[in-house]
Amino acid sequence: MTRPLNVMVTGADSPVGERLIRDLLDDSRVDRILAVPWRTGDHLPPDDRLTIVPVDLSSSRRVHDLLFGKARDLGIDVVAHTQLHRSAREEGPRIRRYNVDAVRALLTLSERHPTIRRIVLRSDAVVYQLQRDLPVLIGEHHPLNMSGAAPQWVTDRVEADVTACTRMGMTDLEIVVLRTAEILAPGCGSQLYDYLESTVCLRPAGYDPMINVLTILDCSAAMQKAIHHHSQGVFNIPGADTLPLTAAIRKWGRVGIPMIGALLSPAYRLRSLVTGHDFRYGMNRRRFLYSGVLDGTRAREVLGYVPCHPVEWPAG
Amino acid sequence: MPFPPAVARAIARTWLDDAELERLSALHFQDAGHGYDAFGMHPDFVAMATVLVKGLYERYFRVISSGHEHIPQHGPGILVANHSGNIPIDGMMMWYDVLTHTSPPRVPRAVADHFVPALPIVGTLFARGGMVGGSRGNARALLESGELLMIFPEGTPAILKPFKDRYKLHPFRQGHAELAIRHRCPVVPCGVVGAEEQLPQLTTSRLLGKPFGVPAVPIPVVPVPLPVRYHLLWGPPIPLHEEHSPEEADDPDIVKAAAARVQQAVHELVQRGLKQRKGIFR
Repeated sequence: MTRPLNVMVTGADSPVGERLIRDLLDDSRVDRILAVPWRTGDHLPPDDRLTIVPVDLSSSRRVHDLLFGKARDLGIDVVAHTQLHRSAREEGPRIRRYNVDAVRALLTLSERHPTIRRIVLRSDAVVYQLQRDLPVLIGEHHPLNMSGAAPQWVTDRVEADVTACTRMGMTDLEIVVLRTAEILAPGCGSQLYDYLESTVCLRPAGYDPMINVLTILDCSAAMQKAIHHHSQGVFNIPGADTLPLTAAIRKWGRVGIPMIGALLSPAYRLRSLVTGHDFRYGMNRRRFLYSGVLDGTRAREVLGYVPCHPVEWPAG
Repeated sequence: MPFPPAVARAIARTWLDDAELERLSALHFQDAGHGYDAFGMHPDFVAMATVLVKGLYERYFRVISSGHEHIPQHGPGILVANHSGNIPIDGMMMWYDVLTHTSPPRVPRAVADHFVPALPIVGTLFARGGMVGGSRGNARALLESGELLMIFPEGTPAILKPFKDRYKLHPFRQGHAELAIRHRCPVVPCGVVGAEEQLPQLTTSRLLGKPFGVPAVPIPVVPVPLPVRYHLLWGPPIPLHEEHSPEEADDPDIVKAAAARVQQAVHELVQRGLKQRKGIFR
């Protein structure tokens, strides 16, 4: 019988991190959990197996002190890194440190850590390039969005993802990158969720691309499987819902109004200025034109992950 | 789409009889969860498209089809045909022909040039009827899930060719042969006769095509396609997958020879069709 794992979860104050911690607490194969929220862990359930240490991971010194302090004392085996900055409106070096430098520090320090043997990173489907001559079904080898014109929200995620991928197989540290589909839930940094917040959803006339969305429950389930598995590599994590954009708008109980593409960016910029919403049309333009659905074959065959928690659509 | 599947379903129910609706309800289809497959095909839109294409197939172009017993009834396969006519009516006629001559009905997944899925309205409408963009990844995924691909290896240059070049095949691209060998499926050749005369063109304009993202726009002699008679001649499957190992899909010489063999088969079917027909409109 294998020894129960000790797991460290970053981003413990995000909905995904919180869900993962709750699932790990129910998991008999896990012994101790070190929850690392950005600010506070008051929302986490009290449990003898759970240790909460708020740390700002954008400082490599603090990452070091966390890993070689509390994590070493608890004998952490696996790090589950769920932390990603959630607002597309905020940019700059501080956000980059949070998204990219934290990953780099975690990888570098874990490679020489006495107890950590595996790191599971949550990446994002936004790292993939979408264009008309690329397949609709996105495999792990699909081209990444390396455009210099991409917003920091995208470039940070691509850089963090590639940073992890380039270190795979370099040391004994097992690295798993989970490229998750967009989580359609509040507080997860979902652009689509923010888009669907409005009663009227403007969309480019004449286009109705296929999208795939994930739930927090399925994301947590995928991370849990990756924590316990022994293989490493990149895995796409699709959700149970694959549907056209107009169907998503309808199922969310919203009214979709087609509009000339050129007007959408200024319209949503205005919305953002007036209401403070996070959705940026320019950042999502290609997603609103070209279909892109994550192919979860590898995750299914290797990790045994099958999405089984569909979105609870408000309008049925 | 500007309207939900329920509207497409209502249109189909209004215009198709019960027997046809029942037949279409057995459509070979991989639902990705909300009634659509991952590429955007939806059975209700297929039924609606059937209404639209049926009239053209039966009344306007009065299609005569032969050799459809060669169309695979199940499992992966690649249908390969010549391409012409300035607008892809040939693809629509083949689409309907396969749909009506397979049981349970199969939707051939037309593999279109990259610009087609990016066209507003048309791209979405075609996707609902089963079309996919011409990327290797799309083709691989569909063949692996046992679908029937419909490929025009001459590509867009052929559909835009001038009237004087009718029934002269453009050199075939080789992707279909490689896919057949690699993914272990037969190639079924099809000769399309009639399409070449449906919409004779004066010229093509690259300039007009630019705003629409298409390589060129044909400027036809007549405003609407002529009611030519279509002849679809299906040939026996070419078992490239039985003659070559999957590894040979990487051998350029083998793939080139295989594509040439398919082109020859299509050429012979076209010539046979031309000899058999009694006139452009008959």
